[in-house]
This record gives sequence, structure tokens and C-alpha cells, in this order.
Amino acid sequence: MLIEGKDITYRYTGEPDPVFSQLCFSIRGPGFISLFGLSGTGKSTLARIISKEIIPERGTLNIQHGLTILYSHNAERLPGWCTVGEHIQRVSTKGSDTLFRELVRELAVEAIMESRFRELSMGQKNRVNLLRYLLQDFDVLIGDEILSNVDEPTRNHILGTIKHYFPTKTFLYISHNALEVVRFSKQILVLPVNTGSAHRRMISMPGLDLAKEDYQPHGLQQRVMQLLQAATGHEPVEAVANHGSTGTGVLEAV
Amino acid sequence: MQFLLIYLCALGVLWMAKYSMGLSDYLIPSPAEVVSVSMLHWTKYSMAVLNTAAVAAAGHMLAIALALIVALAARTGSYVASLTRTAAFNLQAYPIVAVAPIIFLFLGDGIASRLLISAIICYFPLLLSFIGIFSTPVEAVEHFYNVTGRSTWRLQVKVRSFENMDKLITVTVGSGTLAMVGAIVAEFLAATHGIGYVIRKALYQSNLAKILVCLFLIGLCSSLYLSAVEATGAFCKKRLTGS
Repeated sequence: MLIEGKDITYRYTGEPDPVFSQLCFSIRGPGFISLFGLSGTGKSTLARIISKEIIPERGTLNIQHGLTILYSHNAERLPGWCTVGEHIQRVSTKGSDTLFRELVRELAVEAIMESRFRELSMGQKNRVNLLRYLLQDFDVLIGDEILSNVDEPTRNHILGTIKHYFPTKTFLYISHNALEVVRFSKQILVLPVNTGSAHRRMISMPGLDLAKEDYQPHGLQQRVMQLLQAATGHEPVEAVANHGSTGTGVLEAV
Repeated sequence: MQFLLIYLCALGVLWMAKYSMGLSDYLIPSPAEVVSVSMLHWTKYSMAVLNTAAVAAAGHMLAIALALIVALAARTGSYVASLTRTAAFNLQAYPIVAVAPIIFLFLGDGIASRLLISAIICYFPLLLSFIGIFSTPVEAVEHFYNVTGRSTWRLQVKVRSFENMDKLITVTVGSGTLAMVGAIVAEFLAATHGIGYVIRKALYQSNLAKILVCLFLIGLCSSLYLSAVEATGAFCKKRLTGS
């Protein structure tokens, strides 16, 4: 599976500067791949270009023929005229009953299947939205902050579950959480912060590609430092290390 | 109850003006005369106002159906949609009193003219709201259907109607008042039935007491009709949202 972008330039209508210019990238699936960058660097825009929701101003996007790419984001809502369970069963692909039951258990949403979407907490909303996408027929699922309101242990469990149940699929995971990005991804695509130069290069670096909920694997902290350095573009690794945190505090400290 | 309070206040102001300025019974009838007229014509006027309300309700339903059809056609970007929208807007540009004679000439002074005028008067706010609602995507809900290829025009209309249910109920209730106004205007202009026709006759007789009784019945009937529409909307909302 291959998605390649060459010299991609995109500018929002009425904006003088492009979000990115002449951006090149390559995504080789299957596997868990992350798109990382600070806020406003164009991650969601790039995801929408890959899913063909928007068309770049310039550049070429080569996607392997026949790939089904789905793009999901965390502001999505389920329709309110039926329960969560009714909706998900109605939109699931045929023959996914077993997977449905197992994912319902893994994502811990059994208790809310009879509830309406508006009655759920933010984290529950994220989980049921992800669930319905996982029950679709897809080759690539782009998840844009799809678990942003879910607590960290549950999020780690869900990401491990995704990797376990869908080894032949490609996940493009967009997150601001450097730790989980390093922990679960086999490849991390970093959109560096915009420093004023029109031409920004996307950086690709390997992640630890863990399958289990291993909280402190060997080399985690070093990878997180490297990732943040790549994302910010100028911060020396030593300066980040001095803050001595392995949580999202690192990101804040930078 | 609120209507009754407002009506009594208005009567109070009228009678205060009458007695403070010493106006004649011919200009403003005394309370006794109003009571006497209402006792004498209660049944006849009640039947007339119910007749008007029935026409208004039918006209209202017709307007809702018309506005739905036009809005569904106009929500797409096609040439026919654009033409439909322009025709609908142009029709509204003519005052109903200017169009009414043509309607009466073609359809006579029976129920068809009253129904049509009532529908024409109340359909425009419905149309504007329906077009606005049906043509504005609810991205947060529709995104999933779009990316998975499940989106159909029926589903879009369903999502947009559901997400804007409060707006739909409000505009439907509001247009109910206009339907009542339309039916009364039609009756006042040329029809031979309904409370508007009764008011026209009272005007020719310069009998304000009769007009005051008619106004009371119109207000009462409108309030009851609007409450019924509102209750229906609330019931539908409750059934659909499950709350």
C-alpha cells in the first residue's frame, strides 16, 4: 500500500500564505503510522487532502488504485434519532457481527449501546465514533484526534486493540501526544512548525511500534525528544531533556 | 390565559378612552352592549371562526407541503432549482390584496380562494426557513455518511431536519398565525363565509361591538390552534429524540 504526495501546495481561500508549499511525503502501509506536529502546522489539512476531501492547489497525489481511505475527526456526531447501538448496527458492513461484539468489548462501550449520542461523555463519544469507522470496509483509516477526550490507559488499550485486530490495514493517526505516537507508530511523519519559509520538508522517523501497553519501553524518552525536536525545528535535544518529563509536559515545556 | 389578559387590557383602554373623553356608544360600544352582542351571536360567530380556523389549518398544511416541495427542489444547485427559487421569491413580491382579485375571479368566492390565499400568505417564511435548513450541511453528522458513500438526498434532509427541529417547529408555529390572517383577509375581501366575512358585514353596519366579539373569538381560536401545532411539534420532537 502506498500513498505518495509530491510538491503538494495548499492555501485556504482568502489566505495570503499557503498552509504548506511543495510538500513531499510517502506513506507505506500496512501498519500504524502517525502524523505529528504542533497546532496549526496543517496536519488536518493534509489528512483531508489524502482522503480527497479537498484538492491541493498544486502538486500530485499518487494513491494506489482501489484503496478505500476514510477520514474521521473528533468533532463528529452520531445522528440523534436512534440509539448508539441501533446506528452502529445499521451502518456496519455485512458479516462484521463477531468483530462488532469484540470491538464493543475492547472499546468498553457495551453499557452505552442503548444510549443516545447526546447522553454520552466526550470520551464515550470518541469511542463510539471510532467503533463505527472500524466496522467499515477500509484500507486506510485516518484518525484526526479521534481519541483526544479518552483517558490515557484506555487510549493505549484501544490503540493496542486496533493494531491487534487490523494488522493488514493502515492507520494514519493524528495526535498531539508525543508519547503515544512514539510508542505505537512504526513510522512517524512530522510536519515541522512553520518558520516563515514557504517550503517545509516533512520529516519521517521510526517509532517503537509497540503492540502492548508498555509504559516505559527502552528508548522511549529519547525518541520523544527527537520527535519534539523535529516538530519544533530548532530546539536542541539537551534543552528538552533538562525538563526531565516523559509526559505531555515535555510538549508544554518546549 | 395570556391572550385573555391582553384582550381585557385592550378593552379596558378602549373603555377608559370612551368614558374619559365622553365618546358616544356609536363610536365605542358600552360594556353592556358588547356583552349583549356576544350573548346574541355567540353560536353563529363561533361557527364562523371555526370555519375560518379549519380553512386556515388546511391552508397551513398546504403551505407546508408547498414549501417542502419547493425547498427540496431548490436545495440543489441546478437551473430548475434556481428558477423555482426565483419564481417563489417573485410571487411573494406581490401584495396579497393585489393578487387576491385574480384568485377570486378564477376560483370564485368559495373555499378554494380562501384556502389558496391563506396558503400563499403563510408559505413564504416556511419556504425561506426550509431552503435555509435543507441546503446547509450538518458536517459533524453528515461527514460519516459522505466518506462511507452512504449519503443520499433523503438522508441529508433527514439529518438537517432533525438537527434543526426547534427552528422548524418555531417557524411552523409562527406561520400558523399568518395562515389565520390569510384566511381572514380572504374572507374580508370577497368570501361569503368565515369570521372575516362577519367582520366585513359588521364594518358595513358600523357595529364595533360585533367586531370586538369577533376579535375575541379570532384571538382565542388562533391561540388554541397555535398551541395545538406547538404541542404536535413537541410530541414529534419527544418521539424522535427519545427525551
